[in-house]
Amino acid sequence: MATTWNSTLAKRRNRRDFLKKSTGAAALAAFGIARKAFTAEPVNIGGLYPLTGSFAQIGQGCVNAAKLAVQMVNEAGGIKSLGGAPLNLIVSDVQSDTTVTRTETDRLISAYKLSAIHGAFASALTLIASEVAERAKMPLLTGSSSDQLNKNRRYTFTPFSRASQFAEAQLQMTKLVSDSPKVAVIFENTAFGTSTSNGLREQASGQGVEVVMFEPYSAGLTDASPLINKVRASGANMLFPVSYLNDLILIIRAIRQNGLEIAINGGSGGFVIPDFYKNVGSVAEGLLGVAHWNHDVNADARKVNENYKKQYGEFLFEYAGGLVAQTFMIADALERAASTDPQKVRDALSTLDVSSGYAAMGPGGKVKFGPNGKNIYAHPVGVQWQHGDLATVFPKEDARAPLLKT
Amino acid sequence: MRRFVSQGGFWVGALAAIAVALPFLVSSTFAIDIFIRVLLFAFIGVAWNLMGGYAKQLSLGHAAYFGLGAYTSTILLIRYDVSPWIGMLAGGIVAMLASLPIGALCFRLRGPYFAIATIATAQVLMLLFLKFRDFAWGAEGTTMPNLGDAPLMMQFDGKAPYYYVVLVLLAVGLAITYWIERSWMGYYLVAVGEDEDAAEAIGVDALQIKRNIYLVSAFLTALAGTFYVQYIYFIDPNTAFSFNVSVEAALVSIVGGIGTLWGPVIGTVLLEGTSALLQSWLGGGHGGVQLTVYSLILIAVILYRPAGLIGILTAAYDRVIAGTKRLNKVPLDD
Amino acid sequence: MLTTIAQAVVNGLLIGGIYALVSIGVTLIFGVVKIVNFAQGEFVMIGMYITFFLATSFGIDPLVALVISMLALFFIGVLLQHFLIRRVLELGDMPQIFLTFALSLLLVNIALLLFTANYRTVQTAYSETAIHIGAINVPLAKLIAFAVAMLLSGLLWMFLHGTDLGKAMRAAAQNRDVAMLMGINPDRVYCVAVGVALALAGAAGSLLMPFYPAYPLVGQIFVLMAFVAVVLGTLGNITGALIASLMMGVAESLGIQFVGADSGLIVVFVMLLLTLALRPNGLFGGWSR
Repeated sequence: MATTWNSTLAKRRNRRDFLKKSTGAAALAAFGIARKAFTAEPVNIGGLYPLTGSFAQIGQGCVNAAKLAVQMVNEAGGIKSLGGAPLNLIVSDVQSDTTVTRTETDRLISAYKLSAIHGAFASALTLIASEVAERAKMPLLTGSSSDQLNKNRRYTFTPFSRASQFAEAQLQMTKLVSDSPKVAVIFENTAFGTSTSNGLREQASGQGVEVVMFEPYSAGLTDASPLINKVRASGANMLFPVSYLNDLILIIRAIRQNGLEIAINGGSGGFVIPDFYKNVGSVAEGLLGVAHWNHDVNADARKVNENYKKQYGEFLFEYAGGLVAQTFMIADALERAASTDPQKVRDALSTLDVSSGYAAMGPGGKVKFGPNGKNIYAHPVGVQWQHGDLATVFPKEDARAPLLKT
Repeated sequence: MRRFVSQGGFWVGALAAIAVALPFLVSSTFAIDIFIRVLLFAFIGVAWNLMGGYAKQLSLGHAAYFGLGAYTSTILLIRYDVSPWIGMLAGGIVAMLASLPIGALCFRLRGPYFAIATIATAQVLMLLFLKFRDFAWGAEGTTMPNLGDAPLMMQFDGKAPYYYVVLVLLAVGLAITYWIERSWMGYYLVAVGEDEDAAEAIGVDALQIKRNIYLVSAFLTALAGTFYVQYIYFIDPNTAFSFNVSVEAALVSIVGGIGTLWGPVIGTVLLEGTSALLQSWLGGGHGGVQLTVYSLILIAVILYRPAGLIGILTAAYDRVIAGTKRLNKVPLDD
Repeated sequence: MLTTIAQAVVNGLLIGGIYALVSIGVTLIFGVVKIVNFAQGEFVMIGMYITFFLATSFGIDPLVALVISMLALFFIGVLLQHFLIRRVLELGDMPQIFLTFALSLLLVNIALLLFTANYRTVQTAYSETAIHIGAINVPLAKLIAFAVAMLLSGLLWMFLHGTDLGKAMRAAAQNRDVAMLMGINPDRVYCVAVGVALALAGAAGSLLMPFYPAYPLVGQIFVLMAFVAVVLGTLGNITGALIASLMMGVAESLGIQFVGADSGLIVVFVMLLLTLALRPNGLFGGWSR
């Protein structure tokens, strides 16, 4: 555990330096590229992430990745059709709070001349940001999985798989473990928990999976034992916890403490981030999950992951990795629009069609948005904790490592 | 305080004129957004102040009424296409109805018991809206339909109309407070707030007084709830029944000066103004800095100005008046 | 079925012990100083970080770290009383409550600045072991936490009833003016009371560390339950808070088992409201302390 502390300290130092260098007007000079003397005006991109409050942890990682992505675009010469204009990321802390999200989205759009926005991790926050962006006619890219984000939207683009697709993948993966899967679903009573679990319930019988327990719980457990006691009584042979990190740690530990033998598919959320492994340790080995992005899906993704690891000391997790790809999608759209006008960027995004490079480094390897803003090629991958890292093991065509039998 | 108002009629008029003109003077929509937030929380504070300030019942559960108002109008809008203008009033009525049983339960409690019981009522409502997913979208919540510029449905293109809506709400809240303050009910209220037992002893029906003022307070808070979710385009139980709303409502009044007409307004200008400025200066990634500064300011105010900031203003005003030697007719009711 | 119920009761009692440490602190401060401390959970958080730091940097077991964390928190408590709470004693309920609210906000955000939002856990030899009593499964770390919590509660009771300082504290709690006439220095008594209350929060932090992750907002998870327990058990009544905490742990656990896992809190809050409706001063309102 000592290493955890040290590496986090180091990381914090990095992050602090990074932030110092890149706030406000100094942002241009931040990436050591100012000497190249850009003649073109920088293109402002907004990033809305929770840096305080309950999602602070993931939000910090997202900002790190977003900054790395901007640095990569700029080092490759910026937006050529705009005279090599560099991207300038303007980050805002939405404090894991709905009011602040509404205010901050407005503030970014009105105070800066933005060309596009990305954010905001938590589905509830992203929904608000998307409503504001929609009315301000500002394109918004997001990795958030709520299917509501694809309803009646013209300016919201979702390059990665949706909650309903996650459910399908998770159900199919039960066959990796058992021929007659009996699943217990326990989900936190939040937007993320209910939307994901609804998908699981609706599709279970179609996938030949029996759901023997379907239980919402109030997020923020003090003790997971009562819940695990209930899982034991249900006779399930596989558990799907749909939870954020804190509850997940408690659930996994309670399963161990109570000596319950059960296969676990932790889904996405708090399960596919480095901190999960740091907190539960080797108990995590062999556990399955799903993700809309993983750092081993192709060579480009691996390369970005190496860069990120060098700077921040841990692997590039799902949401943050997706963010790097999103930044390149925005750059591609800007390049083709040859304009910083959000309306033109939006139109360029709607005709985006890439199958190589960093913009396409997700599962499926291609990006093209349908009329509802959904990437028609997106699908989730099944991942497994192997030696402290996340390996893609499902579906077969995406698998990068053999399944570790536990 | 009353002197401040009656002799300050001119100043109130000037203030109102500035408030009305503000959207024309300020071009930044971000600034207007801050003003909207300030006016909204000032309004919630004014509603809370009736109960918490005059009757001195420390409610930390006003989110219950805020949320009921917000949900009533949203359900009417989305399920039945009823305009939020009507839904707003309906929400106010639902909140009034809800205040009756909650009041019946809580009014017998004193001090911290009352505060904690009111927290529990708001929490229970939130948990119920989370649990019964089919009733009102559950934890996933819902966004408001995008109707473009539809003033009749409380949706506007720019920010200025929202600003005027909440400005009117605040004006109504202040007018009601002003009227209550000078009516017989105001005197009874203050008596109950000072010492409930003594008030009863001289024949004031404390329970009745508290029930009546709670009805008004709940109604106004519910109006704020409707406005709020229409403004942020989104509702879910955590937003609608947020504990922060309950705390904020009380906090702005306490910082400004409880039991005074302008206290909640002054408190909100300071607190929300500070937090908005801190957010725009420090919002870019220094997790925690702005809230640390905010809480330090809060502690300083409570330690050095426990009666609220309004004391500073009234004292300054008195000094100005005395300086101009117009202080020959001091009202005796002070 | 019987096993399931028994297991649920055991689970509830074990976590109830932790609630008890937090709620006894709250009720002690209220009883003596007459202030509701909404920041009590944040002191649990500080205790957790102290324990985490000692465990990861010096390899000190959380149970040993408990002593250090209690001492540190006692000291913080004395400072808190001396520099902050003392100055609002003569003011009403509202400034007092909001001072502690602001303090809670301040501590959470300082923790966020110092330690980031990352979750921190300590792995001990007993973190994942359990002992079995028949078909009942008892996680060792939680059993230890429960036993130490009960031990500390017992020691507190002995302190309040068996020592001069403890008796002075009870006297000051019952009537401040009379206590002063008897020659008791209320400032000193108040400092000790707040110090002891925070030390208990620190103990809760250390005991939680082997099985619960630390993060800046962790205190708010526990403080809610502690408050309900304090009210149920009658503000200022230490035995009441202890019994109510254990009851609530069990009610929550049974609620999850038989009503639904999203109903545990509803059961607890409804229990609170019903109790207050029937007994406005809590379950133990009529008891002497």
